[in-house]
Amino acid sequence: MSDIRKWFMKAHDKGNGSAPKSTGAVKNAAETAPIKPEQASEDLDTAARRKTSKYFGKDKTKVKDEKEVEELPAKRKLKTESDDLSKARPRKVTKVDDDDDDFDVPISRKTRDSTPSKKLKSGSGRGIASKTVEKDEDDDGEDAHEKETPLKSGGRGRGGRAASGASTGGRGRGGGRGGFMNFGERKDPPHKGEKEVPEGTPDCLAGVTFVISGTLDSLEREEAEDLIKRHGGRITGSVSKKTTYLLCDEDIGGKKSEKAKELGTKFLTEDGLFDMIRSSKPVKKSLPERTNKGTEKVCAPPKISPQKEETRGKPVAKISPTKAPPAKGKKIIETSLPWTEKYRPKVPNEIVGNQSLVTQIHNWLSHWHDQFGGTGSKGKGKKVNDAGARKAILLSGTPGIGKTTSAKLVSKMLGFQAVEVNASDSRGKANSNIAKGIGGSNANTVKELVNNEAMAANLDRSKHLKTVLIMDEVDGMSAGDRGGVADLIASIKISKIPIICICNDRYSQKLKSLVNYCLPLNFRKPTKQQMAKRLMHIAKVEGLEVNEIALEELAERVNGDIRLAVNQLQYMSLSMSVIKYDDIRQRLLSSAKDEDMSPFTAVDKLFSYNGGKLRMDERIDLSMSDPDLVPLLIQENYLNYRPAGKDETKRMELLARAAESIADGDIINVQIRRYRQWQLSQSCCVASSILPASLLHGSREIFEQGERNFNRFGGWLGKNSTAGKNRRLMEDLHVHVLASRESSSGRETLRVDYLPLLRNRLTSPLQTLPKDEAVSEVVDFMNSYSISQEDFDTIMELGKFKGHENPMEGVPPPVKAALTKKYNETNKTRMVRVADMVQLPGMKKAPKKRIAAMLEPTVDSLRDEDGEPLAENEEENASDAEEDSEEANDGEKLESNLKNLNARGIQVELDLKGAGSSGSRKAAGRGRGRGKTAEASTEKKATGRGSGAKRKR
Amino acid sequence: MLWVDKYRPKSLDKVIVHEDIAQNLKKLVTEQDCPHLLFYGPSGSGKKTLIMALLKQIYGASAEKVKVENRAWKVDAGSRTIDLELTTLSSTNHVELTPSDAGFQDRYIVQEIIKEMAKNRPIDTKGKKGYKVLVLNEVDKLSREAQHSLRRTMEKYSSSCRLILCCNSSSKVTEAIKSRCLNVRINAPSQEEIVKVLEFVAKKESLQLPLGFAARIAEKSNRSLRRAILSLETCRVQNYPFTSNQVISPMDWEEYVAEIATDVMKEQSPKRLFLVRGKVYELLVNCIPPEVILKKLLHELLKKLDSELKLEVCHWAAYYEHRMRLGQKAIFHIEAFVAKFMSIYKNFLISTFG
Repeated sequence: MSDIRKWFMKAHDKGNGSAPKSTGAVKNAAETAPIKPEQASEDLDTAARRKTSKYFGKDKTKVKDEKEVEELPAKRKLKTESDDLSKARPRKVTKVDDDDDDFDVPISRKTRDSTPSKKLKSGSGRGIASKTVEKDEDDDGEDAHEKETPLKSGGRGRGGRAASGASTGGRGRGGGRGGFMNFGERKDPPHKGEKEVPEGTPDCLAGVTFVISGTLDSLEREEAEDLIKRHGGRITGSVSKKTTYLLCDEDIGGKKSEKAKELGTKFLTEDGLFDMIRSSKPVKKSLPERTNKGTEKVCAPPKISPQKEETRGKPVAKISPTKAPPAKGKKIIETSLPWTEKYRPKVPNEIVGNQSLVTQIHNWLSHWHDQFGGTGSKGKGKKVNDAGARKAILLSGTPGIGKTTSAKLVSKMLGFQAVEVNASDSRGKANSNIAKGIGGSNANTVKELVNNEAMAANLDRSKHLKTVLIMDEVDGMSAGDRGGVADLIASIKISKIPIICICNDRYSQKLKSLVNYCLPLNFRKPTKQQMAKRLMHIAKVEGLEVNEIALEELAERVNGDIRLAVNQLQYMSLSMSVIKYDDIRQRLLSSAKDEDMSPFTAVDKLFSYNGGKLRMDERIDLSMSDPDLVPLLIQENYLNYRPAGKDETKRMELLARAAESIADGDIINVQIRRYRQWQLSQSCCVASSILPASLLHGSREIFEQGERNFNRFGGWLGKNSTAGKNRRLMEDLHVHVLASRESSSGRETLRVDYLPLLRNRLTSPLQTLPKDEAVSEVVDFMNSYSISQEDFDTIMELGKFKGHENPMEGVPPPVKAALTKKYNETNKTRMVRVADMVQLPGMKKAPKKRIAAMLEPTVDSLRDEDGEPLAENEEENASDAEEDSEEANDGEKLESNLKNLNARGIQVELDLKGAGSSGSRKAAGRGRGRGKTAEASTEKKATGRGSGAKRKR
Repeated sequence: MLWVDKYRPKSLDKVIVHEDIAQNLKKLVTEQDCPHLLFYGPSGSGKKTLIMALLKQIYGASAEKVKVENRAWKVDAGSRTIDLELTTLSSTNHVELTPSDAGFQDRYIVQEIIKEMAKNRPIDTKGKKGYKVLVLNEVDKLSREAQHSLRRTMEKYSSSCRLILCCNSSSKVTEAIKSRCLNVRINAPSQEEIVKVLEFVAKKESLQLPLGFAARIAEKSNRSLRRAILSLETCRVQNYPFTSNQVISPMDWEEYVAEIATDVMKEQSPKRLFLVRGKVYELLVNCIPPEVILKKLLHELLKKLDSELKLEVCHWAAYYEHRMRLGQKAIFHIEAFVAKFMSIYKNFLISTFG
């Protein structure tokens, strides 16, 4: 409630406080006051509002006002049905509050009543506005009932909103605008959605550059931008000399306004902007509808004020409408080529953006033969580190920004003959069967090409027909193209012609090895201005009438993809010859939706104030943007949100409900994943993300000082993986303990009951007893349960709790060192009765060969027995080494390792997997193992075909 | 070696606590063919000890010669093959395994692996029993599907194989399985019995037990014999000779759960819930089973709670525990329980104290 009151006070103060502030404004008010009864229009709003601005020039206001007075009658005639409805609103207000002296009050009242959530959507803003009006009428009616308590009635229907204005505002609102985030708190416009957004001629703001600062009176930032762009104005982010107006309604004293003052930029309020647009409207627009664009065009230019024109030399290149249609028709008939092909750059200068890269390619290619050609492959190995001395380059960048085009153009310009190999060709590993030769797979052709250029050079053709190989879409080498990348690298190594590789994602896993051999060049997205320029050129040639702002919008919408932009342009040219800003907006509205949304943005949106007003399908879309991650983010962060207008008890209750719903989501998720009930995925969404979000959406608060007020990444993933790691360690320990045959308890029992004592037994001697005694006691204990040193660490690790002391605390380092030493010493006589996977050091191809080491006790009675299998093993190794001539080195190393191990009294049994004979050997190994168990029954041993023992650490 | 393992009775004759059951079991296997068995009872009551002793009774000393194997299986499940890994403990005549280790794929273990093991008759049957024994641990954690597949196996291969199932709670074992087994309930030993065992151990170790010390340990042990012996040894490690008022320190994780309970009682706010979440994560990361956490947490809360709330809180704990088993991410459910508790408790505080 207090929030609402605060809000009310604020609005009130604003209205009242400003009244005596500027004399000019008062005068204004006086001027407008008499007009009001007759007109009874929304001018009331504008005028009153204008007073609030400190920056509004006095004289200008007058001029504007006069203009308005002139214009309004004409405009009223034009109003359609919806406007008639809106007419009702002011009238009603005046009726109710007529007796009130201060006419500010109704304004602020009305503000509160209206439902500002309705976003004005592009063209259709008017329709929606009228809807609000209808609601207002209802509200007013109710207000009459509650007249005694104006405060309360004022607040009603706006509860959530008011609070939002008072505390942190608008989280995640910026998310829609290409990742721009509003970190600061921008309040909602105080008079949101109340004013009628004027319509002027489409080009009335042409050549004017705006910068928007702070909160506007009634428009959301996006709406204002939209409005300006629709009328041909330009919006920039920061104030510069080119800026014509700084659009702001209050002096927030920010950087922008300071800069603007410094540069002498004019300040403009929202109403000023509206007037500007309104004034451009043709006075005599009693014509039925704006079917005739021509007349509008004619009318528009005179309306543009001189100062507007001075900033920008020519507004926008305009082609006279009479000329355009025939030109267009002709073009379409004469050529059916897609524009993307038709307007593919012919010279490097035509390439949009990335000019420096193009030059770089040019340099590289032109010097290639100096560096690598001729002398051949002599010094190339050394040069690899030298920048620009790579034998291949790798162009990367998002689709449609001209990588292929640049590559082709440059090679063409330098007189190279480009051979393009793209994803449509099979690019598997070259067939080593030479008999197949060039007639074989495509890769063979490449190989041939790469190899045989020398021959071509000998024939003295090199001057005329140099070849360059363009490997397009290298990241598309996949399933079918087995070994493609490796083969490509091999080709690069031996290549005698330059190779240009092109990919979309340079950081793709597949290309990791390739990047080392190439000079990576990253194509950036061209700026919207660059793109607009090129698009403008195309439009001009095609006889399309488009203004620059519209094209910039198009460029922005397609996200740098110039190919897509050209395609869109062509598509639109089919149905219209004049393309306006609105058309592009409309057309690309759907495509904008598809852009990637990070789960963070989605969660922000779901939890935002307006989260409650989203439609259900929108919410499902949001939570489906990443059905795995969004629920986790929600779960991580739902505690941080404070639902508006709920006290602590209520909040706790909501939290409990949300938590239960999240748990529901988990259960449903199990059904989906385990039993493949994918039809439940929507329910899962609702339970795990939408319900919690709708229960708790509001402002986010932080729990600890200094914490950043953003959504945290879900902690579950990390914790789960740590838990998994610990579980595996625990499993190892468990297996060891089981193998010691002293205990047969389950894993859980081991953790829950045994572990504390185990830890105690392991650490307390170290802390209390003298060093040697302690060490030997601990090692004895470890041996009795066949606890290895890793297990020792595991036990220590698992007992750690935050805020509790580390069990190894107080153990001096020398004791620890002594323990390790002692442990390793006794290792010789120790019995590990379990088969562990042992990774022998120095094994290069460790994953391919699995070595199950069986550590045996060196009991004297077993001596003679040990000798035999030992020799056997070595034999095996030797034979292996012979078998695999390539891996001879490895084998040697392995053998030496074995010897080391043997020296320590450990017998190692090898189990080599993958080799042809492995099956039989395995069988033999097993047989031996079994036999031994039977033979020496006193010997405690467990055979393990340790292939399973995972050691992911 | 830990006392718990050192003084574990190795044969049915030496069993102290459940003497009657031990004798019955002995009769069962000596006089007639052994049926399938289902041992159930709380942890630390001696199920495993009895099973091992029983095996020794059946097969003699060879049952003690076990080896640990970490075996991997490839199971063909229609469209894909599933790699399974399982640690088994086997002697010549019996195999012990914990199928629930395979998580939600336990059904394949039962369908393929257990079946395969059950199918194979033991090779040398002369003079020995004509069957082998499969010991399955934690049967109550088996999924429903796995239990369904198990019951057919039990009937079909009963000529060559006996199953001994072991679990904490028979309520989570389906009726079908229960009816196919001879159910053996192993009670938690009474405090007097525990004291008796503790004194036995002390005598063997020639320790001086102060008067009432054993009783205090028994009381703290929550009627789990294992825990009692373990904490006796812990006390021995920490401080010897014993003093009559020596503190019996709780398990590390128990202490931590008690901390959580205190946190929850002290303040009910989102911030506190967040803190609790962190602590629960800590426990989970330390491999404490979530069910144990929830149960212990409830116990700790009940200690401090007004009696009128107890019923409701118990109800919710049971509710969330059940759901935890249906779900996968235990933390969500524990958190939901804590949130629910906070909400209830806060309401209660406000309604009583205003």
